[in-house]
Amino acid sequence: MHELSMADAMVKTVLDVAEKNDATEIIEVTIEVGKLTMLNPEQLKFLLDVLVENTLLEGADINIVELPVELNCNSCEYTGLADMDDSDHYLAIVKCPECGERNVEITAGRECNVKNIKIEKEEGDEDA
Amino acid sequence: MHKIADIEIQHDIMVANRKLADRNQKILDDSDVFSVDVLGAIGSGKTSLIETLIQKMDHKIGVIAGDVISKFDAGRFEKYNIPVVGLNTGKECHLDAHLVEHAFGDLPLESIDLLFIENVGNLICPVDFDLGSHIRMVVISVSEGDDTVEKHPLIFKEADLVVINKVDIADAVGADQDKMVSDVKELNPTVKVIKSSLKTGQGLDEIISSIEGFMNR
Repeated sequence: MHELSMADAMVKTVLDVAEKNDATEIIEVTIEVGKLTMLNPEQLKFLLDVLVENTLLEGADINIVELPVELNCNSCEYTGLADMDDSDHYLAIVKCPECGERNVEITAGRECNVKNIKIEKEEGDEDA
Repeated sequence: MHKIADIEIQHDIMVANRKLADRNQKILDDSDVFSVDVLGAIGSGKTSLIETLIQKMDHKIGVIAGDVISKFDAGRFEKYNIPVVGLNTGKECHLDAHLVEHAFGDLPLESIDLLFIENVGNLICPVDFDLGSHIRMVVISVSEGDDTVEKHPLIFKEADLVVINKVDIADAVGADQDKMVSDVKELNPTVKVIKSSLKTGQGLDEIISSIEGFMNR
């Protein structure tokens, strides 16, 4: 269960950026999580909701966007989305959706990215 | 007056870890140390395998023993009078590149040439965290059930060497060891899979020659 440490790192990143930009309020945060990370978005959301209490992030909308798995096939040179089945992520990494061969490399789906935030700040604080 | 601002952050925690991992590997390369991240479930035989390799391999070996409480495994390695650093992860279920970098500070890297990093017993969380090791060796045992590979595909997809341990008790626990091998091969067609038993010595020579093969690449 490493959702807690990841959530903690995300909250620290967001608060750090918000502070540097003189935010008076954080309205929205968008976090991207690849479907192949060993992170459960629902657990992540729960922990984020706990960790933001009594911080500038409390009350902000936290959007968790799941990113799809992409792969390169070394047999037919297919590049693109993997076949996804939410109940079975084995399928996504085992074979090429185009030719069915198993010699594939995962190129996306492992992200854990604090993408952006929307903040409110005092007018005139342009030097941040 | 207030205004709303959109701020792009693009801080990927996985990318940040990977950067640290790359730096770790450079530190190891600069000291001519080859490193093996040893992954596997609790009780698969990771510690026993490393103990055996310490005794059988003709190398200057050091170990980083990662665990929730590391003193137990670290104590087992210290008996062999080799450099050992215990890494307590506390509440965490995996090692990460940052923790490993700290351990380097307590290791005489100049006087070892092979470093085993024993990860926390877990087939899930460590997958996300590259440590900067040169290879990942996954150790599983037949007693975990012969569907273990299917249930944890990613760790096997990314492995450089897979050891299926305790095959001497496969019949007793009703596990089909050949199915475990073929499940790994299904995910990772080119990976070396070795059936082993630390009790009988089966597969040990092959494990040693595989690690040395990677070292000599």
